[in-house]
Amino acid sequence: MNLPRRFLCVITDDSRCPVELAGMALEGGARMVQLRRKNASGRELYEWSVRMQELCRHHEAVFIVNDRVDIALAIQADGVHLGQQDLPAAAARKILGPDAIIGVSVSGVAEALKAEEHGASYIGLGHIYPTFSKDKPTPPLGTQAIGEVRKAVGLPIVAIGGIDPANAPEVIEAGAAGIAVISAVTGAPDPVSASKELVRRIWQ
Amino acid sequence: MTANRQHLPRLYLVTSGREHTDAAGLALRQAEAIGASGPVVFQLREKGLETARLYDLAQRIRPLLEQSGSPLLVNDRADIAMASGADGVHLPESSCPADSIRKAFPGLLTGKSVHSVQSAMDAAKSGVHYLLFGPVFATPSKARFGAPQGLEKLEQVCRAVPIPVFAVGGITPEKSFACIERGAWGIAALAPFLDPGALSTTLETYRSYMPI
Repeated sequence: MNLPRRFLCVITDDSRCPVELAGMALEGGARMVQLRRKNASGRELYEWSVRMQELCRHHEAVFIVNDRVDIALAIQADGVHLGQQDLPAAAARKILGPDAIIGVSVSGVAEALKAEEHGASYIGLGHIYPTFSKDKPTPPLGTQAIGEVRKAVGLPIVAIGGIDPANAPEVIEAGAAGIAVISAVTGAPDPVSASKELVRRIWQ
Repeated sequence: MTANRQHLPRLYLVTSGREHTDAAGLALRQAEAIGASGPVVFQLREKGLETARLYDLAQRIRPLLEQSGSPLLVNDRADIAMASGADGVHLPESSCPADSIRKAFPGLLTGKSVHSVQSAMDAAKSGVHYLLFGPVFATPSKARFGAPQGLEKLEQVCRAVPIPVFAVGGITPEKSFACIERGAWGIAALAPFLDPGALSTTLETYRSYMPI
C-alpha cells in the first residue's frame, strides 16, 4: 500500500461511531482514515478495525490504527500511527514488516529525523494552528515548520492541528503531502460535505 | 524468553495497576524481590501507563526475572510484549479476540481471563495456553466481576478444558490447596504480593501448599 499524493486523512474521535464516520469521510474523498479511540477496549478496536479496513480497501484508501500495533497486525491493517508516547517506530516496523505504513507524530525537525531513522513512512507534523481537539501545552508551529521539516527529512508530511477549508491551501503550499483533521470533519453537521470541501481545497 | 509452556509456574503474580500511586516503581520492586526465588508468572498489568512507558517498564523488568526463570506477560498488549522481549500476553475478557492474537503473534505465550465454563471452552479452542478463572472467593479488587464463583465452578472449568487454569480472587495460602484439589494448575493473586519486602516469604508460604 502506497501513500496517495496530496490527501485528506480523517481521524476518529468519541463523537460518532468510527465505522460510520469512516464511511462518510471516504464518501467525501478522504484517502486515509485513522482509528483513534484511546479508551476503547481491544475487542472494540478489533471489531471497528475489521470493518474500517474493509471500507478503506473498497475505496482504495489507507487505513491506519493509532497506537495499537497489535490490532493493526491482527487485522492486517495498512498501517499504524504512533505518537511520541507510543511504541518506537522501529519496534512497530519489526512487528509489522517492511510493507506497513507507519506514521509518527512529531513537533519539529529533531523528532522528524528520529522517526525517519526508525523507519517511519510518513511524518504527522503538528499542531500547525491553534486547536481544541487535544490539550496542547505548546504554541502552534505555523506553516513555516512544514518547510523546515521538509528540508530535513525525505518523508511525506501530513500536517495536523486546526486545519480547515480556509487554511488548507497554504498548508499544501508550504509542502505538506496531506492534511489530517479530527473535529473539522467529526464535528461538522455533515461530515461527507465537510470532507468534500477539504479535499476540494487541497487540490485547488 | 524464559517460558516453559509445558510446565508453567504454579504461582502467578498480577501487578498493582492504576490503583497504586507509583505502580511502575512498585512493579519493578516486585520483580526485584522475586530475585533468586522459584519461578512465578509475572503479569505486568498497568493500564494507567502510556504505551511508551509500559514498553520501557517491561524492558526493565524482563532481566530481573531471568534468574528465577519467571515468564513475563504483558496485560492486553501483544505488541508491547513482542517489542519488549516479554514471554507473552495476558488477554482480559474485553481484549482483541484470542484466536486473532494467536495467529498474529504465534511466538507469544498467551493466556486469557474467563468468567464462565462456556468462555473457558471458547478460549481453549482459540488456542490460548492457559486460563485465569475467578473470582473464586470474595475480594475487593475483583468486586466489579460480581459475586464469587466458588470452588464448584472452578472445578467445572478445570474439567472442561485441557489447558492449565489458574484460580484467582481472594485466594489465601490456606485456600490455595482447595483450588489445586479442584483441578487448578496454580493460583494467581494481586493483593497478597503487593509488599516487595515480604514477597519472597509470601511466595514460599504459597508454594508450600502447591504440588511439586
